[in-house]
Parts: sequence; structure tokens; C-alpha cells
Amino acid sequence: MKYYVFCLLIFVLTGSTAYAVQGDPVGHIQTLNGHVSILRGNSTLPGSVGTPIYHSDLIRTAKPGAAGIVLTDGTTISLGPNSELSISSYLFDPKEERFSLAVRMVKGTFVYLSGLIGKLSPNAVQLSIPDATISARGTKLLVEVQDN
Amino acid sequence: MNNPISGMLTAILMILFLSSCLPQHSVILVTDPDGRIGKAEVITAGGKQLLEKPGDMTRVSGSPASPSSVMTAPPDYIAVTFAEAMAAQPLPPKKFILFFATGTTTMSTESHAAITAILTVCKKRGVTSIRISGHTDATGTDQFNEKLARERALLIRDLLLQNGINPDLITVSSHGKGNPLVPTPDGVAEPRNRRVEVIVQ
Repeated sequence: MKYYVFCLLIFVLTGSTAYAVQGDPVGHIQTLNGHVSILRGNSTLPGSVGTPIYHSDLIRTAKPGAAGIVLTDGTTISLGPNSELSISSYLFDPKEERFSLAVRMVKGTFVYLSGLIGKLSPNAVQLSIPDATISARGTKLLVEVQDN
Repeated sequence: MNNPISGMLTAILMILFLSSCLPQHSVILVTDPDGRIGKAEVITAGGKQLLEKPGDMTRVSGSPASPSSVMTAPPDYIAVTFAEAMAAQPLPPKKFILFFATGTTTMSTESHAAITAILTVCKKRGVTSIRISGHTDATGTDQFNEKLARERALLIRDLLLQNGINPDLITVSSHGKGNPLVPTPDGVAEPRNRRVEVIVQ
């Protein structure tokens, strides 16, 4: 109970910048089909609905497999089979008007739909695919990255 | 094979051959669920292309090359390639807005019904996140508004916790007077901006 109160206190004190703190999830897995794994540091974790996603995680779907993720600003990205993606930069701090979203699409198929970051700060969003970057200004995109 | 035309043909064939070996990446702009259409620019070391109409597509293969000129994505290519990714798209989030009396954390009467609605939605769908953001209007100091907006958001958070919502699902933020529902100049009292937004995903 004491621990809970302590956590709550920390939460109250830091609540407004909670999103900016490294170590908080940047989003969650919302939909899942087949096998999905998350590569975090050196460990590979199984993904399931509700699994939190952290900055720098590599999300990987098997074939067959698919996943839909939602970031805390409402951005959604879904991955088709045999796909890999990581959130390489994420900052959602509306009060300080600090925003950043960089998504690296390594291979596979993706549906990207912008959230609040895309709405409040369109220039802060950058999607990268091998050999190119995509500046997405508040929109929905389909992206296919062919494997080598 | 020494005349210029066959030399050019060879070059074109070489380029076609090379580009057929390289992996090809496609970017397609589509209409979003609200019927709006944004813009996207695809940039390589060799150039860039702007997508601005629904169905606009450009392709990238290899770094020095410019993205291909914009074409309309063939519907059957979209249907075949993106079927699984499209089926995995998360449901659009559901947004609730609760309003407050000026300068306080006193919720309007109607907003109590919204709490019930939030709890109903949480029970109905597999909820993975509940984002609570507190807001104020543009009267008062920034410091006061930042604190008031946070207190409003935390009040709603506590109400949801009292009703059995898993605290791990909830994130809270304070926008102060930022991100208003109705933009106003500083110092303007605007009841619609004194609010908490709850986004259930």
C-alpha cells in the first residue's frame, strides 16, 4: 500500500511529462494475428494483445502473422506478415509543444495512420524505409518494403 | 553495336535489368477514415516526389535513384499486398469529453453520464489503453492552468480506478491551456476548453 501511494505520488509529480520519460511505453499492441515477437536489447519477447511497446523495440511479425500497434498519441501502424518495424524516436509532450516521431520500416507491409503528433506538428513525423525517408503530413499511407 | 541508338538501348536495358534485381519499395497515399487526405513526400539521395491525391504512389529502388514519378496505385496491387496489414488495423479510438466549472475540478452534471459511457465501452471492447488529458481555458496563469488541468485529469483517473479499471492501462497528461477545443486569445473564458478528454483504445 505504501508502495502504491509512493508510486501515485511520483505519478502525480511527474504526470505532465510522463510521455517524455524514457522507460514509459510509447504504445501497445492492439491487434494480433499469428506469431509476433518483440526484440528488446538482446532478448526476444512474445507479443500479445496489450503488450507495451518501448522506444527502440523492434516489432517483428512471422508469416503468417500481423499486428496493429497504437502509440500514446493515437498514431496507429499495422504490420502485415514477415514485417519488421521500430520506433526510433518518440516524444509526445503537448504541454511543452515538443513532438517527435520517427518510425523505421525495415521490411514488409505497413498501414500508417497519423495521430496527434501528426496533427499538432506535421513536420515532426518521419518514416524511414531503406534508401528513402517519408515526410507524412497528417495522413494515411500504405508502405511496402521489399526484402533483399 | 556501335551506333548511338543501340548504345542507348543497351543502357536502357541495363537499367531495367538492374532495377528488376533491386528490391522495390512502394509508398501510397490513401484517404484517412475521416475522409481527409494529407500529403507525403518521399525523399531519396537522388530526388523527391510529392504524393497529394488519394491513390498516388511512388516507388523507390536503390539509394542514388530518384523515387519514380507519381502514378496511381493499381487497386489489385493494394488489395493483394496489403490485405493482412489492413485487416490488422486497430479500431479507431473512442473519445469522450468531460466539462468542468471555471477554475475548479467540479464536473458538469452531463459529464457524470460520460463516465458511465466510458466504463461501458471499456467492458465491451478489449481495451489496451486509456489516455486522459486535462485542459483549461486561456484565463489564469500558465502555472495555475497546468496544475488545474492535471488535477482535472487525475480526478477522472481516480473515478475510473474506483470502478475497477486496471491502472496499467491509464496514462495521464496535462496540457494546461494548450491544445484547446476552441482556440481563443489569452484571457478569454471558454467553457468548452475547460475539459478532460478520455481516449479509449
